[in-house]
Amino acid sequence: MKTEHDRYEEEEEVKAIKRRSRVFVPMVVLALIIAACGGDTDDTTTTAGEATTTAAEATTTVAAETTTSAGETTTSAAAAGEAVEITAGDSIAATFLPKCTNIAVFPQANSGAEEAAAELGSDPAEFVGPADCGDTTGQIEFMTNAVTQGVDAIMLSNNSGDQLDAPAQAAADAGIPVVTWDSPIPSATGESVFVAQVDFDETGQVMADMARNILGDDGGQFAILSATPDAANQNAWIAAMEEVLAGPDYANLELVETVYGNDVAEDSVTAALGLVDSHPDLELIMAPTTVGIVAAAQAMTQEGLCETIKVSGLGLPEEMAPYVESGCAPEFALWSFVDLGYLAYYVAYGIATGQITAEEGTAFVAGRMGEYEITADPTRDAGLRVLMGPFSVYNAENPGT
Amino acid sequence: MRDWAAKHRWESILIIVLAATIVVNVSLSPFYLGFGNFVNLFWLSIEKIIVVIVMTFVIINGEIDLSVASVMGFSAAVMATLYQGGELPFALAILIGIAVGAIAGLLQGLVITRFGLPSLVVTLAGLIGFRGAARVLLEDRSVGDFPEWFESIGQQTLVGPFPVALLLFFVGLALAWVILERSAFGRKVYVIGNSADVARFSGIEVDSVKLRLFVTSGAVAGLAGILFAARVGAVQGTLGETYELDIITMVLLGGVSIFGGSGSMLGVVLALFTVLNIRNGLGLANIDGITQTGVIGLLLIGSVLVPNLAQRYRLRRPRAEAVAHGPP
Amino acid sequence: MTESAAVATTRSTRFLRPERVKEATLLAIIAVSVVVFAFLIDGYLSGRFFNRVTTSVVVVTLLAAGQALVIFSRNIDLSVGSIVGVAAYLTGDFLTATGQGPIPAILVATVVGAVLGSVNGLLVAYGGVPAIIVTLGTLALFRTLLSIYSGGANVLAGDLPTWVLEFNNVTLFTIAGFEVRLVFLIAVVVVAGLQFALARLRWGRRIYAIGSNPSAAAQAGLPTASLVFWSFVGSGALAGLAGFMFLARAGTISATAGAGLELESVAAAVVGGVSILGGSGTMVGAFLGAVFIDTLKLSLVRVPEVSEFWRDAFLGILILAAVILDTLLRNRFNRRWSAEARKAMEATGPTAAGMAHVAGGGGTADA
Repeated sequence: MKTEHDRYEEEEEVKAIKRRSRVFVPMVVLALIIAACGGDTDDTTTTAGEATTTAAEATTTVAAETTTSAGETTTSAAAAGEAVEITAGDSIAATFLPKCTNIAVFPQANSGAEEAAAELGSDPAEFVGPADCGDTTGQIEFMTNAVTQGVDAIMLSNNSGDQLDAPAQAAADAGIPVVTWDSPIPSATGESVFVAQVDFDETGQVMADMARNILGDDGGQFAILSATPDAANQNAWIAAMEEVLAGPDYANLELVETVYGNDVAEDSVTAALGLVDSHPDLELIMAPTTVGIVAAAQAMTQEGLCETIKVSGLGLPEEMAPYVESGCAPEFALWSFVDLGYLAYYVAYGIATGQITAEEGTAFVAGRMGEYEITADPTRDAGLRVLMGPFSVYNAENPGT
Repeated sequence: MRDWAAKHRWESILIIVLAATIVVNVSLSPFYLGFGNFVNLFWLSIEKIIVVIVMTFVIINGEIDLSVASVMGFSAAVMATLYQGGELPFALAILIGIAVGAIAGLLQGLVITRFGLPSLVVTLAGLIGFRGAARVLLEDRSVGDFPEWFESIGQQTLVGPFPVALLLFFVGLALAWVILERSAFGRKVYVIGNSADVARFSGIEVDSVKLRLFVTSGAVAGLAGILFAARVGAVQGTLGETYELDIITMVLLGGVSIFGGSGSMLGVVLALFTVLNIRNGLGLANIDGITQTGVIGLLLIGSVLVPNLAQRYRLRRPRAEAVAHGPP
Repeated sequence: MTESAAVATTRSTRFLRPERVKEATLLAIIAVSVVVFAFLIDGYLSGRFFNRVTTSVVVVTLLAAGQALVIFSRNIDLSVGSIVGVAAYLTGDFLTATGQGPIPAILVATVVGAVLGSVNGLLVAYGGVPAIIVTLGTLALFRTLLSIYSGGANVLAGDLPTWVLEFNNVTLFTIAGFEVRLVFLIAVVVVAGLQFALARLRWGRRIYAIGSNPSAAAQAGLPTASLVFWSFVGSGALAGLAGFMFLARAGTISATAGAGLELESVAAAVVGGVSILGGSGTMVGAFLGAVFIDTLKLSLVRVPEVSEFWRDAFLGILILAAVILDTLLRNRFNRRWSAEARKAMEATGPTAAGMAHVAGGGGTADA
């Protein structure tokens, strides 16, 4: 296994120097055409690879034109309701780029991607990224490097707003599919498809429901402890939650304030205690961030406030275990980051090997997780989405550990 | 050659380190030796290295400016806010953004020279305060969709294969080199850095020189912030956060004494090339961000320590000479 | 009644030493801010807010004390944030594995910090590398090693012995809602002990001497290298202890724990009147600096009119204002002292006046 990979890697390196990144498009296209003719995947990709070494850069323009026709073929296949099963083929070189490497959920997502790579007989993607989740320029650097390396696919959790548009577009121009996961590129520039963990509106619904469960029928005051004021994910979830709260079923729940702990433990503790002092009738802190929720729970624990003020939100079961046990955090939710990484890898692999195209209506089967479909993303003006879901809600009966 | 090396110990060491870095990079990654990659390597850090030039002056002068990254963010935020307001021509918004940077530098410079406060303290407050001001202006918004010509300044290769910002850097560097090492002003900067008292006694208008440096530092940081906006096509309140440590690291690695009075532009340029090449090479070898930073930290210590120890044990000379800095 | 005017002058100068004035000024500034905030925030003047500040200020207090120790000898330690992270993480690992009590945990944290501090100390004192270069380097290096060691995994609160999560809440006694908590007492004892040692022990005097004039101190035969080395070990040990406190406060520790605390500790020390040029300042000052910044931070969070986005801007302005005010007041006092010293010199000759000046603790060197 190992030696095979090594051999492949050597070959791949030599090839890569010759063809650079741009020639990847024809490879995908060729693979697609042949795949559509019903050829065996293994053989087709090899042929495609050989073809590209000679085809060189001249074909790039032609390739761009062929993409549409190849795409149409797949659309009709999908329209017929056949889900493409993504199967093992050639190894691909890929970059798995999280918001940052030092928050527990991202190594988890990478482990899912590694699992998928192993199933697909591919080398694991390179897990690289900035140390600090606020380091946008770090992500730009890694994106640019990946393009220079001519990788076959990039899996990205965007840690900024629109600042990654240009490097993502550069990747797309070089024929590298950019599959976003966890956090998309808002304008969808250069992005192939977004693998969404859950529907952002659903996040709002789930948080509102947990708040109602915890506060009971008579309702009460609660506050939100978020990450940073400019964190796109959190802002979208909070907005969705506020929309749900406007409904009549949630009239008893009063959102008194939203504060930010910058996804730093110390700041989050300070912010949580600030909430407690500013709002004497506060009964719940809702933290849609894994760093914030655990800091809030710890702050309530050490100040002996767990009896009066509960904590909920999005948290990692293993981090929240003691607070679930103590009753400080009776209920919280999250999706599986392992599954998210797994699915993102399957999608990226499928696109990179030409088994699927990033188009509305494409249906596919991703290993143990089953069937999914690429749709237009309803939460953005542009862009495509694969919706993973669902939420797991954790509580004393289901601590998740 | 030998004479040059003896006179420019620090620069010689950096040349060796840089050469070693390039050799290692070539062996680590087949993608390193591409022209596009070399342009990228500068382009990805262009804002930092532009500020490095002016920070060299500030530190040689015996001061420090910790606020540069925050001023970058503040200037860009002012520009973005004006642009969003839509009442001013965009070019004017850019000029105002740079001017705001200069004013930020002027304010800090005035506090430093009038009250005699250490620049570290004043610019530390500036670091917190100007970042805060940027956040006040933009809150949680991200301002983008700038005119195409503006984004092309940062993103496209306008002149030959080089982005405009890169050309700006090289022009600025040449200018700074001449000013620092060939002009009366440059000599004053060194004299003040060596001893502000001596400078005062010899009739140098110390406060005025310092003030001019802080204003320039602010203006250049403002310009860098705006170039940053052009490169990434969007401005957030957090733009450039924590850049100050990277910038200062490059200057110090260049052999500029933190106590002022010594250091050379050549050393700083070599240090800057070295850091950029290390980051790029490690990045292409798929080594993550935190490890890159660690390697640069190690290099920073090692580049001073190793020659010190070598000098001490091999030549058994007194320590005073072992800590060799650039030309006075 | 034969005491000369000069002696009387010396006495009065002694009573109003420059560092006392600094401390009193800062105390007054803190008091004024508290009064202002009391008007802005409902229920602000309560035991509860006191408890909040005294608990949250502990980490930065310990770091500021260590920072001051190093700055006194004209050095700086920018690596403390990373030392906090390493110590917190390793102590967390130790407790996860062994489930030990507080004393061994504090010991482990302090030793880890001291070892890392000794790396800084060796390089600065015996390697001849400037402190800012060494500690900028180890700031990155320690963090990198921690990141590699952790492999992205966190220390989990659930794996720690339960006493850790409640350690911050251990209260010794309560007066009208004002709790004196163990963690705060530890910080105060550390500060007081260091203050005493620096003021009364020969070792302390020597640290100041190095900071005032390193080459003169060396020529006078002081063991400068070993003094500088041990001040870094001390700073590291205090950062290690702060790391333990950080662990107790956060419960869950990631590889980024403590990042950014280095600048906060420098800010606390310089606001507390520790001269960045070395040779002057006190531990009590550094402590008050930490309290001032923490009070501002915690108060600003509670002022409803100050939005999230305004907080940093205010913090920067207030810190600057405090430092300027402090300098202005001190300059005024300095002028009076030099006038008094001149008078004393005219009356009794240069020796006594020189002594009066020494008693002033080098107040003029740090303007």
